Order: sequence, then structure tokens, then C-alpha cells
Amino acid sequence: MMIEKISNSIEESKIDPFMTAILANRMDGIIREMTNTLLRAARSAVISSARDFSCAICTADNQLLASAEGLPIHIFGSHLQTKTMCELHDGDINEGDCFLHNDPYSGNTHAADHTFLVPVFFEGEHFFTAVAKAHQADIGNAAPTTYMAAAKDQYEEGALIFPAVRIQRNYKMIDDVVRMCRSRVRVPSQWYGDFLAGIGSARIGERRLKELCKKYGKETIKQFIDHWLDYSEERMCHAIQKLPKSELFNSGAHDPFGELLPDGIPLKVTLKIDPEKALIDLDLLDHPPNVDCGFNQSEACASASVIAGVFNSIDPTVPRNSGSFRRIILHLKDGAVVGKPKFPHSCSIATTNIADRLINITQAAFAQLGDGWGLAEGGVGLGAGFAVVSGNDHRVDGKPYVNQLHIASNGGPAGPTSDGWITYAIPVVGGLMYRDSVEIDELKHPMQFHYLRLVTGSGGAGKYRGAPGQEVAYGPIKEDMNAIWPCDGTHFAPQGVRGGNHGKKCSHFIVRSDGQEEELPNMVVVRISKGEFIRGNQSGGGGYGDPFERDPNRVLKDVIESYETIERANKIYGVYFHGSLADNTLTVDKEATKEFRKK
Amino acid sequence: MSYKISVDTGGTFTDVIVSDESGNENIGKALTTPNRIFDGMRNALKSAAFDRDISLEELLSAGKLLIYGTTRATNAIITESVAKTAFITTKGFPDTLVVKEGGKYNPHDFSSDFPTPYIARHNTFELEERIDSLGNQVIPFNYNQALDLCKEINRRGFKAVAVCFLWSIANSDHEKEMARILSDNLPDLPYTLSHELIPVVREYRRASATAIDASLKPLMQSHLYDLEKDLRCSGYSGDILVSTIAGGCSDIKSLIDKPIYTVNSGPAMAPIAGLEFSKLEGCGEDIIVCDTGGTTFDVGLVRDGNLAFTRDTWLGQPYIGHLLGISSVDVRSVGAGGGSIAWVDEGGLMRIGPNSAGAQPGPACYGQGGTDATVSDAAAILGYLNPDFFLGGQMTLDVKAAEKSIELIANKINLSSHLTAWKILTLSSDLMMKAISDITINEGFDPREGSIVAGGGAAGINIMNIAKELGCHRVIIPKLASALSASGMQFADIVAEETLSLVTTSESFDFEGVNNVLCKLQNKLEAFKASMTLYSDVPYEIDYIAEARYIGQVWELDTPLPNKRFLQQSDLKSFVDKFHHVHQRVFEVRDEGSPVEIMSWKARLSIKLDIVKSYNSDVTKAELPSFSQKRNCWFGGLEPISTPIYKGSDIPVGSVIKGPAVIEEPTTTIVVYPNMVTKISISGNYIIDILEK
Repeated sequence: MMIEKISNSIEESKIDPFMTAILANRMDGIIREMTNTLLRAARSAVISSARDFSCAICTADNQLLASAEGLPIHIFGSHLQTKTMCELHDGDINEGDCFLHNDPYSGNTHAADHTFLVPVFFEGEHFFTAVAKAHQADIGNAAPTTYMAAAKDQYEEGALIFPAVRIQRNYKMIDDVVRMCRSRVRVPSQWYGDFLAGIGSARIGERRLKELCKKYGKETIKQFIDHWLDYSEERMCHAIQKLPKSELFNSGAHDPFGELLPDGIPLKVTLKIDPEKALIDLDLLDHPPNVDCGFNQSEACASASVIAGVFNSIDPTVPRNSGSFRRIILHLKDGAVVGKPKFPHSCSIATTNIADRLINITQAAFAQLGDGWGLAEGGVGLGAGFAVVSGNDHRVDGKPYVNQLHIASNGGPAGPTSDGWITYAIPVVGGLMYRDSVEIDELKHPMQFHYLRLVTGSGGAGKYRGAPGQEVAYGPIKEDMNAIWPCDGTHFAPQGVRGGNHGKKCSHFIVRSDGQEEELPNMVVVRISKGEFIRGNQSGGGGYGDPFERDPNRVLKDVIESYETIERANKIYGVYFHGSLADNTLTVDKEATKEFRKK
Repeated sequence: MSYKISVDTGGTFTDVIVSDESGNENIGKALTTPNRIFDGMRNALKSAAFDRDISLEELLSAGKLLIYGTTRATNAIITESVAKTAFITTKGFPDTLVVKEGGKYNPHDFSSDFPTPYIARHNTFELEERIDSLGNQVIPFNYNQALDLCKEINRRGFKAVAVCFLWSIANSDHEKEMARILSDNLPDLPYTLSHELIPVVREYRRASATAIDASLKPLMQSHLYDLEKDLRCSGYSGDILVSTIAGGCSDIKSLIDKPIYTVNSGPAMAPIAGLEFSKLEGCGEDIIVCDTGGTTFDVGLVRDGNLAFTRDTWLGQPYIGHLLGISSVDVRSVGAGGGSIAWVDEGGLMRIGPNSAGAQPGPACYGQGGTDATVSDAAAILGYLNPDFFLGGQMTLDVKAAEKSIELIANKINLSSHLTAWKILTLSSDLMMKAISDITINEGFDPREGSIVAGGGAAGINIMNIAKELGCHRVIIPKLASALSASGMQFADIVAEETLSLVTTSESFDFEGVNNVLCKLQNKLEAFKASMTLYSDVPYEIDYIAEARYIGQVWELDTPLPNKRFLQQSDLKSFVDKFHHVHQRVFEVRDEGSPVEIMSWKARLSIKLDIVKSYNSDVTKAELPSFSQKRNCWFGGLEPISTPIYKGSDIPVGSVIKGPAVIEEPTTTIVVYPNMVTKISISGNYIIDILEK
């Protein structure tokens, strides 16, 4: 009797390899449909062109279940938001509800990520919550930007905060909230279009999930949830078991910020990898208290960034959900700049600056395990290529415009087998976002670009090379234009690992109409008049491994394609050539290269 | 007797379909001969002629129209054997082809290098010039630099030139100036101008299409002329047309001018075949068209009798391949087919693909040394495939090897081989179903309201289960299922498309400008029509389509114009209503308060080459045919069902066959599952009804 029971429970803990695969496939399809809806129906370029949004499905008990194609920084916290929804509205969550959540103290990333939560009911029971999170073009902050780097606290930041506020009941809009937003958010018609697209996306998820429940029945769906999370955990165990047992420490820093943070913000992560227990322990406790500006991490961002650093360093096909997260133990401190923020400290730029650095130092820590592990640091900094621009458009009777550009990218990190990804953007999005078209940006805003190109020699050298950064120049065509950006990486460059070099740092200038140039600080609020323009470059990714070990043919190709100069090839890579670049006759001088590399 | 001949030269096989005046069609198949396409074509034509008891010479001399479909351009791109092409772009913006539109699949996967651009950076030239978004010249065209550039292009031996300047769609003077200088200095060098080929906003889309088009010009010119010569030498004197990705066909001269339209033209023909078969069988005009091969599964869509188009067709994977940019028949391809490998991952989950056994070694059951379990092996074990009659008897299946391969999976998941095989087949169907969902549900098409037309060698194995999962009630498997693209060419119209960009909104609508643009489009197309002298008496249509969106959106929706011109306010109103309707259909929401913005205007000419054949639909009920044998087949139960096996050629039209049953045709096998019924229509196609349980 006893034995039978035991064998039963073993049986029960095993997943159904077939039904789990089928339903996972369906979940993936549902999220793709949500994603497609939001992308194509949204109004602002930041969502519809750049794809700065993510969709996810959480369970009724607030576990993250599925997040196909979501941005790393967005996804890991969705379940914290649904938890807030469940707690705040306990006993009053019904079919037809939709909640808006953007509160960084109760699970959101930062205030600009408006998150639409639709509880999904089947036969009267709350089964799932469909989540659509999208970075808004404007949220009614004190200044026309969603990145308030200098905000002393949340009051100065000025965002409207929605801690899981009901915006629909019985599938009907609660117009009070819409009116509140319309009275405060800049360019309300753009906001409202995005708002509709966000709700539409979550509602599509709701409809498909209900169809799924109907087709397969409650029990199968419940079993699937358990099996999928168990399966994901199992995959994570296998991934961790392949790592050597070790304790890793890495540190880095965010750039200085004016007089407030003259030394920047020091960042530290300690990782304990235990393959026997299949656990990774991430200690982020050693951080200074919250700072009086917008740099503080929200809980969602602090966790998401280091977890993303881990996922960048293991088998990339492990599903990202609460099942695989069970194998990660995270230590966060209350009231620390990296940790759980203390109200009213501002988290306005939580999703990018420090989060980017945390991803970098985590993935670079893995490189300490030896050749073949981890990644270099990726290019950082929301510089001129990511500015929020605003002003009045003389082409349409002076109507106001505000939007974030995604036009020039930082270079991606080199890895143990490949060079960096060129359209990487920043670490928190891992190359997933789309980029703007020059023509679309010029069409939508009264501005003109002077150039947009890759910077030769800007990728960190290494056995594998970091991707080069891009440089861009632009200005208004008639009326003044405001540009605001919270850059990083103008002071501390993205580092290489295992002997790889660092990437080029970001830098920015304003060029006055008489041709005079003034260098700009990293945090920029600037007004540009006709005849003036901004020029700047984004950073390059760090290199992986000793540049002298780089395959000379790769170096040759880099020179032919102007990713590198001949001088850098000689000096940094130790590769020499026969023939000439101009005549298309360049080949590797194997002897000279061998000779030089011996030194 | 005169014949219409369509030829589809695929990667492996060349399919030929010959039809005569009374509508009788037959098929010829031969291996494709890549070095000289005509050899394979001749062999396929010979086999089609043989079936008709005539000689190849008789067939060719009585041929009136030959429609040629080719993978030449696609293969040249995939194998990177296109012409050495120079890319000329606006100074300051050299990396348009490198950075594309961004995007990536897996944010945590850093294991591959960034993809190389279609034209290398060292073959890219920046020219000093600049036009702004309103069409004003900001920086004048640098004539001297352009002259130097010609010298450099000549010196470095380029064979083609692609020209794409920023905002050439708002003002094409600079691109035209470049063209004039190229023609004057390098008169034999083919070039493509972006504003002529693809006048749409977004520089990457335009640059990519322009680069691809230019790079194909030298080789497609010789390819198409050589083919024409070969055909003429063999005694063919009829007209020659070539199928295109725009979902029709065109003459050789037009395609030498715009060879990009021959890329992926084969798959673009399948939806046309699907529409005609569905109309023929009275199954409506909302159709999902599937074409299953050994390694890929292609899905296309027909809505209200219209093909679906997209500007988002990628060669290779989205984000990292090359964007075609031109408006093309929307056919999505997923890597799923008979050769997809089944496996169990380290978390214990059953997986299918993305690895495929390919043609070599192929599935284990091919007996060529493959040991991995594939979808075909699952079908073999379930008893669906006749080991002695595979590919019409050309191949004997090694069922033992299939069993062995499936057992490896079965042992891992503790199930019997047959149950495992059933689950492999079902999971693979599910993945195909998702591919169909992507193109239907995401575009606002409810599969429950349509029919499926399925072609390709592997279609009959699981299409019925896919249909059932989608809630689609009706499946048609044409008699000529294995040559769906060649069938489509038989029905294709001569199609030409022109686009012009003019940005305007419903709020301040530029009536005069828009009507001018529409007139220009009409004139261009009518000039083309006039050049097709053989078809001067044939009826034609011109449809107008706006690429429109709500103001502030960035992705346009194709919106057909209800009226051919905007003469009064009511024409604008009916257009705006039409747009709301399209938006609602695709995205489930409409924003009546928002102005509509139109980015570009398209006109599509179709010259009808064929009047739809009509068949007598009174089918006299035939006796239930006798089956040749019974075989044990598994349908998900623990025990096999003794299942009747029919030979396709033995089944009279009008027959009704209840599942379970297996029907063997020379190039395909159709599995009729329990609870399903198939009927053989008078034209010999299989019509399957999926019954509700």
C-alpha cells in the first residue's frame, strides 16, 4: 500500500511530455498574438516602431507562466504586479475588469511602463492574468521625458501613479481615469491610442485563454500550469548543473552624475553557483542607500537585471518563468539604490542605467569561470540616439510632439563564440527592440538627421570583438526642439573580459550655428535652435578574450568592412597585411602576423 | 488542339502541367537540372506529352501559352551568387543595409555573429546630396563626385548598381540625376532606382529591395533570354510569361527590368491554385492554402477571393535575413515537414524540429542510414504509408528502421511505439497549426469560416487533424496536389503593380494631388497593358489600394478604394469607413475620432488570361469503390484499426469514403481519420468534411 502511494506520487511529479508541449505551443501563440496587436495598433513610435513593450501571462496565484519575446527588463516582474492587483482588490476581481498598474513600489519597473492587467476567468474561476506592459511616450512628468534622472523624489518626478487602478469594469471603460490622464499627459491623443492598444492586447490574451480553457478543460489546464513550471525548473537545474561550483564576485559602477554623485554609483554582485543543489545565489546586499535622484532600482528592475545576466550566461532556451526562477535565490536590501526602493525615492530611470550595469557585471562575472563562459559587457547609455525629443511642429499648426527616438545603438558584448550584436540597443533589451527609420523620424518630428553611421574601431577588441557603437547628428528644421537623455557610459566604458578590451565610451556635443562645439554632460536637458545640432556617439561593446588570439581572417574582414582600421589591426590585434585596401588586394601577412604575435 | 503549359522549376523537381481547351489537365515531373534549366523542363514536358500520347515536338508546337516559374533568383540570393553590386546612398547614411530595422529572436542568445549586409560596406558609396521629408533639396547633388564614383565603379568591376537616397520618394531628382550619369558613363551597367522600384517610406525597405533587384539584373537577364532561346529552338512559338511574387505573371521584358518580382514566385502561385480549386468545388472564397514539402510548410491566405499581400516578406529569417520590401503575396514558411526530427529535451518535454533529417540521410524509413525519429517515421509506423508504394513505388520504406528510431523516443517517455508515433504526429500538426494561426488569426481571419486547400507531397498525412484543431470544416486536396504552384500558374492573370507615395490625411485631404497620383498610376498601367499586344482584346481590371493608418500609427493597412477617384466628400467618407472596417477586422478596435493618414497609393492591373472553368456539379453518387487491401493503422488508440486502403485511380468520381481509410495517390497519401468523410468531386479532387464530434 505504502509503496504504491510512493510510486503514485513519483508518477504525479512527472510532466506529461506531450500535452505540456502542446499547451506551451498554444501559450506561445497567444502571447505572439497579444504582441502583434500591441505593436501594430499603437500610436507612439516608442511602442509601434521601437517595440518597447512586452506581453506575459501570469497564473491566478501570481506566478509568471509565459513571456515569449518579452524584453528581459520587463518580464521578470509581471507577477509582482498581478500580486498587487490581487491584494488590493481582494474579493472584488471580476470578469470584465482591467487594471492599470505603473507603481514602482508595488511591482512595476518604472512609472513610464503602463501595465494593463486583465484577470481571465473560466467558469467563474480566476485562472490567469493577461499582462501587457508598454513604455509610454509621455506620462505627465514634470518635464517632457519619461526619464527624470535628476528628480529628487517621486513628487519632483511628477508621474501620475496607478497602483493597480481599475480602468474597466464589465468590459466598460471607467472614463474618470481616462479624463485624468487626458488632462495631464502630453499629446493626449497619442497616449489614448496607446492606451486602447494596450487594453486590446490584454483582451485578446483573455479571449484566447478562455478558448483554451474551454477546449481542454480546467483540470488539464491546471495540470499544464504545474507541469510547465516544473519542466522549466528542471531545465534550469540542468543548466546550472553544467556550471562549475564556484563563488564569483564582480563590481562596476554607474557614471558620476553632477555634484550629486561625483564618484558615480558603485555596484557589486556576489554569485554562488551550486551545481549539486542546482541553485544560483545572487547577493546584491552591498549597496548604498537610495539616492536623491531617479536612479534607484525598483524591486522588479533589480531582480530582472541580475536574472537577465544569469540567463545570458546559460543555455538560452531555458524558459523564463517562475518555474526556472525557483532555482535562483536573490538577496535584496530595503531602501538601497539596488534593492527594494523606499518611498518617495524616484525610480524614474530604473529600467535602464543601473539595470544595464547590473546585467553587465553579472554576465561578466560568469566569464571568470573560464574560456567559454559568460559575456563581455554590452554597450551602455541612452545618449543622443535615444533622446526624448519634444516641441511644437510648425508643419501641423504648431501641434505639440513628444517621443523617444531609438535611432542609434550601442554595440553588443562579445561572447565566447561570436562578435557583438550591432543593433543591441542597451543590455536591458538585449537587441530585441526594433530601431526607427530615419525617414519615419523625420516625418513624425520636425527634425533632420545629418548622419547616422557605425564608428570604426569603437568595438572592444578581443578574440571576439564587441560590436561598434553608432554616431548620429540631428537638429530641428524650424522651431526649437528639446532633447532630454539620461546617458551612462561617458565616464566608465563597457569592459571587456578575459583579456578583451573595453568599448569606446559615449560622448555628445552641441554644435552651435557658428560651428562652435560644446561637450555635453551625461545627463542632458538641452534646447536646440534652428541651425544648431546635436552630435554624439553611443558606446561600443566590450571584447572577449585576447585580441592576439583573434582569427586573422576575421581581422582582415573587419578592416575591409571598416569595422577596424589597419593601424588598430597592427597594433591591437597584431595582424599585418599584404596588398592594399584601396586596390581590394588586402590579404593577411601570415609571417609578419605570427612574428608580431609572438612578442 | 492547343495547350497551355505551366512549368514550376523547384529546387528538386520540375513540375509541368499541361491543359487543353477542354480543360483536361495532366502533370509531368522530372528532376530539376540547375546547370541548364531547360534540360529538366524538357524531361518534364516529355513525360507530360507521353501521357497524352503525343510527342514533345507536337506538344511544343501546339503550345499557345507557357508560364514559367523559377527559383533561379531565390537560389542565387541564398547561395550568394548574385552580381557584384555597388550600393549608392546619401552621404552620412552608409549603414542602412547593415542595421536594417533591428530586432532579434532570443534576447539571451549571444552565440552568433551579427548577419552580414546584403551589400558589403566596402561596396557601399556615399554621395553628397540630401532631400528633406517635404521634398526640398537641402544639399545639392554633387555632380563631380558622381562622375568620380562612376570611374570607381568601373575600375572595381561592378556588374550592377543600386541607388537609394533618403526621401527620393518625396523628390526623385537626385536619383534620376544619378541614373543619367550612370547611363552616360557606363551605358551597359544595369541599375535600379529606389523611387522607381518601391516608392515607400522607410529607407531600409527601399534600399533592401533596390539592392536585391539590382543584384539580380545581370543573371536574370541572361537566364530568361537563354530560356526563351531554348524554347524557340525546340519549336515553341507561343507566348512566354513568367510568374511573379505579386501573384500573377508578366512578360520577360518587364521582369528583366524588375527581376526582384521573380523571387519566391513559386510559393506565391499556391494561393491562386487554392482559390480556383475552392471556387470550383463550391467551397467559398475564404481559403487557407497550405503547401507541405519535406522540410518546409508554407501557408497562404485568400480572403473574399483576394490574395493577401505584405511588404514584410523576408528572405531567410525575419530581422536577420533580407527584406524584400515589395508588396508580395503573403506566404509564411515554417521549418516543419516530414523530415523534422522528434526528440525529448533534458526537461522531459517532447520536441519536434527545428532540426530536420533533410534529403540526406532523410527520415530513418528512407533506409539511407538516418537514425533520428522524424514525422515521416511516425506516419510509417502508424501504417499510413505503404512501404511498397512510396512516391508511386519509386521507393521502398524501411519500416524496421522507422520502428527503431521511434523506440528511442518511446523508451524515454515510457509509452508504446505506436502511441509515441501518434503523439509525434499530433505535436507536429500542432506546430503547423500555429503557423496557420499566425497568418489567419493575427490578420483577423477566422479559420472556422474558411476552407483549407492543401497541396504538396506530405499534405494528406495530417492536414485533416490540423483543420479539426482550427475548427475548419472543409479541406480540399486537389488531384494535382503535388504540383500546387504549377497549378496556380494555370490560373494566374497577367499582373502589374505600381505604387506612388503621397502622404495626406482625411483631415486635410489633398483631393487634387491624390487624383493626380491615381491618374498617373492608371496611365502607367495602361501603358504596360498596351505593350502586351497579344492580349489587347482580353478584359482587364485596375484596382486601387491605399496604404493607410490612423494618424500617429506607423504600420499601414492595405485598404481598397471603394471608388476609383475622390471626386467629392462622400468618396472620402466611404474610404474612411472602409479603413475603420479594415482596422476593426485586423485589430478588433476602431478609433472613429482619429484622422486617417495615407502613406502611399497602389494600383494593380490584372489581365484575365482564363475564364474559370465550370464543371457540372451534379455528381451522380457512385457505388462505394472496392478497396485493394486492408492494413493495420493506429489513430491514437491502444489497438490498431484494420483500415481499408484505396488506390486513387480505382475510385470513381462521386464516391464517398468514410474514415478510417487511406487513399494512395502516386505522389501523395491521404489519411481519412475516423469520424471524417471524403468525397471525390467530379473534377477528381478530394473534398474532406471534418465532422463535429
